[in-house]
Amino acid sequence: MYFRLNPECYFIRGKKCGAILDLIDERVYALDQEETEILTSCEKNNPVSKDIKFLQELKNLRLGNFYPNKIYMQKLKAGSKLMEDQIGNPPKLYRAFLEINNSCNNDCWYCGFHGIKRSLSCMGCNKWDENGINLTPERWKDVIDELRDLECKNIFITGGDLTLEWDKTMDIIDYANGKFTNISVTINQRNLSENILKDIGDKANLVVQTDDLNSIKDMHSNFTYLLVIKPENLEESIIDSENIMVDFVIEKDNLEHILPLISKSDIPSVNVYQFLNNLEYHPCIGNTLTVCHNGDIISCPTMRNYIFGNVSDVGLYTIFKDKMEKIDEFWKLNLDKIEKCTNCEYRYACPDCRSLEESITGKLNGKTLCRYNPEDGEWINLEESITCK
Amino acid sequence: MLEFETLEGNKYAWDDNIGLFIPFPTVLKALINEISSHKSVSRDNIVERLKSNFPEEEIAFYHDWIKKWEKLSPQTDNQPIHQDSSISKIKYETFRYGLSNLILGVTEDCNFRCKYCVFSDYYEYSRSHSDMYMDFTTAKKAIDYYFSLLDEGHRYNPLREPTISFYGGEPLLNFELIKKCVEYSNNKFDNYKIKYTITTNGSLLGEKKAKWLMEHDFTIAISLDGPEKEHDRNRVYKNSEKGTFKDIMKNISLIIDSEYEKIFSAPVYDWKSDLFKLEEFFNRKDIPFLGDVSSVNRHVEGCSYFEQFTEEDYINFMTQFKKAREYYCKFINQKKAGSFFYHMAIEPIEREFIQPVSIYPPDTLIPYTTTCIPGKKIYVNVNGIFYVCERVNHSIIGNVDEGLNFEEIKRLMSNYHNKMDKCHTCNLKRKCGYCYDQFETNNGFSCSSKVCENEESNKKNIFIETFIIAENYPEVVDMSYGYKNIKKFYGE
Repeated sequence: MYFRLNPECYFIRGKKCGAILDLIDERVYALDQEETEILTSCEKNNPVSKDIKFLQELKNLRLGNFYPNKIYMQKLKAGSKLMEDQIGNPPKLYRAFLEINNSCNNDCWYCGFHGIKRSLSCMGCNKWDENGINLTPERWKDVIDELRDLECKNIFITGGDLTLEWDKTMDIIDYANGKFTNISVTINQRNLSENILKDIGDKANLVVQTDDLNSIKDMHSNFTYLLVIKPENLEESIIDSENIMVDFVIEKDNLEHILPLISKSDIPSVNVYQFLNNLEYHPCIGNTLTVCHNGDIISCPTMRNYIFGNVSDVGLYTIFKDKMEKIDEFWKLNLDKIEKCTNCEYRYACPDCRSLEESITGKLNGKTLCRYNPEDGEWINLEESITCK
Repeated sequence: MLEFETLEGNKYAWDDNIGLFIPFPTVLKALINEISSHKSVSRDNIVERLKSNFPEEEIAFYHDWIKKWEKLSPQTDNQPIHQDSSISKIKYETFRYGLSNLILGVTEDCNFRCKYCVFSDYYEYSRSHSDMYMDFTTAKKAIDYYFSLLDEGHRYNPLREPTISFYGGEPLLNFELIKKCVEYSNNKFDNYKIKYTITTNGSLLGEKKAKWLMEHDFTIAISLDGPEKEHDRNRVYKNSEKGTFKDIMKNISLIIDSEYEKIFSAPVYDWKSDLFKLEEFFNRKDIPFLGDVSSVNRHVEGCSYFEQFTEEDYINFMTQFKKAREYYCKFINQKKAGSFFYHMAIEPIEREFIQPVSIYPPDTLIPYTTTCIPGKKIYVNVNGIFYVCERVNHSIIGNVDEGLNFEEIKRLMSNYHNKMDKCHTCNLKRKCGYCYDQFETNNGFSCSSKVCENEESNKKNIFIETFIIAENYPEVVDMSYGYKNIKKFYGE
């Protein structure tokens, strides 16, 4: 007999162990070394006994089946490599951050201004110690049109404090309204008001940044909270709340607490679109650009030192034309190119924060915030550390 | 579902809903029939109904698998898809994905009379050779207009690089025009990095012309069909029927000797070709690297070229073809990328696996076939008329004085769509590789019900051949996915 995984199930091997990625049910199955070797042999179309319990188990999970002859199993995919890889196709820009100001009168302890690193800093507001003249509202509108023409799907409007010049902010939100699949706007909770909520209405998804755990217990269901918190202060009940994104503060001297960004209990799931994207692109900074307050173009909003160009005087498309190779160095920094991850069976399922990893390791392809050692196929046991996502 | 079975006895089906080949054992087929005829029937009921014919665990497995796939499958009801061809949408697609190439047909004259030429009498609906030549005024207008479109389209696709191609007849018969065009474009549009290509029969490539083309970084496609006997069988001079091989070889030797890399061969074969001799020939170091390899195109309305061949010719060809494919697969690790066998026999197999666009719903602009949106490239004939491409003769989309006529493009797309009368019931929608070329006649387009009459049975045979290779040489197919990192720890 022969055993083959179904078309929707990809078998990814790490250096020692393997994983099955079920792209329809969006589940990841971790295999031990013995299971990995059995499945490797099966996927290479070698004959196998039907009595192997592990394979029966896979069949019961509806992940694969036995066949009397050698067969060829085409794997599930989306799109066509042939068409996508055509030279001269436009860039695949899916997501853009628009930092429409860099002013703020608050002095939040967790702000990027103080050099604080957070796991979802990109989604929040930050003030940066940077020079440069802010883009004008008219230029922001041009940028919005340029993003639309490049078929960007999702935009995130951030600051600074967007409420300082609220009319200007609303002018830009109104202009962007209807041009993108999703528009998100980030505002600090302390600047929120009923009028602001009313103005935004259905025009954008509101992300409210706060470090006040108590305040979100009476939470407003119409928007998403971005809760800034130190890992040791997190309450278990918060993790599973639908409208809360947890934004961990990362500090070099408490890395042991922070390590569980990737942990055995939290192997991420992946769907077919994410998986295929991850084969080629970085799971986060891939297909992403940030337009800074002064017109600088960078990839991740928090990786301020890697500037591709400036759109104060030229169109965004000019940056693509002149700097695509450089942009691709970031976009295509998939986990095959990250040290440690390159040997890991979860490399096409895992998220990864390049900004944090780079700031901790000092290397663009460094990796620390993970509990798994793919060389040995073992999870680092830190039971005493907190159980958080 | 289009079902087929390989020699090993494995049953597969092409699932056009998802755009994927799947194993299709008898039990799965029975289950699908059962589910479709009893809509809300439970798994236990189905097991009960089918258990006399199939093992219960197999019925349960495939039942659950079908249900799992329903989460993904965009179930279609085989109703015709409404075409949305608004001019704004056509324009947007053209600016974003089109304008890849300006093809200047600089002359309709040719010093060859190749027997399979699309402008020969074998092709009822194509134009004939003529002595007409394009003038610089026309070429200049076309170039100016092309760059005006590129300027406008830049914001939609900043990565597009302009390409100007020179086509004929034999384009080198109008070499002075080519020189003027290149000089003009390089001077006026120096903010672009322009690529130039030429498709030539090679007979007029004297030293001066060859040097000039190399100096201007041309990609040169030479129509060279193989060794002398093979080449001269079809490619002969206009007035003498004399073979052309020796003259071409003499001319290209200068380019090959100078180690210029942008020259490639574009051979055409038919049912009389000696494939093993072609493989040997194109492996020679003094022969330009292989680019496009194509069979004489018989899937064109009004083509009678193949009527000259006997059944024996066809059988001999197919025997050779299969041997060639087997040979390539066995020695894949030793083969160079430039293998004739690869281009002829393996590339089509790879395409079966990588071409279809899976899962995503069909494009409403062109719901059927894979024809391009007119404007993807622009072919300009000697009189400055714009056509959809160099291979079609009647689909006019504008001219050098008025530019692209988007109303006309819309009408053309609509006429084409209206003739796709069979497509919505076709089991090969996502597999279709046809375009205007296959449907065009002197009086508009033929219906797909006529052109594609035997398509499903033809394709079924191709699928069987494809899967015989895939089952025995999976590495040949897997390489084509381009995802080599997936298997990086699989070992040998």
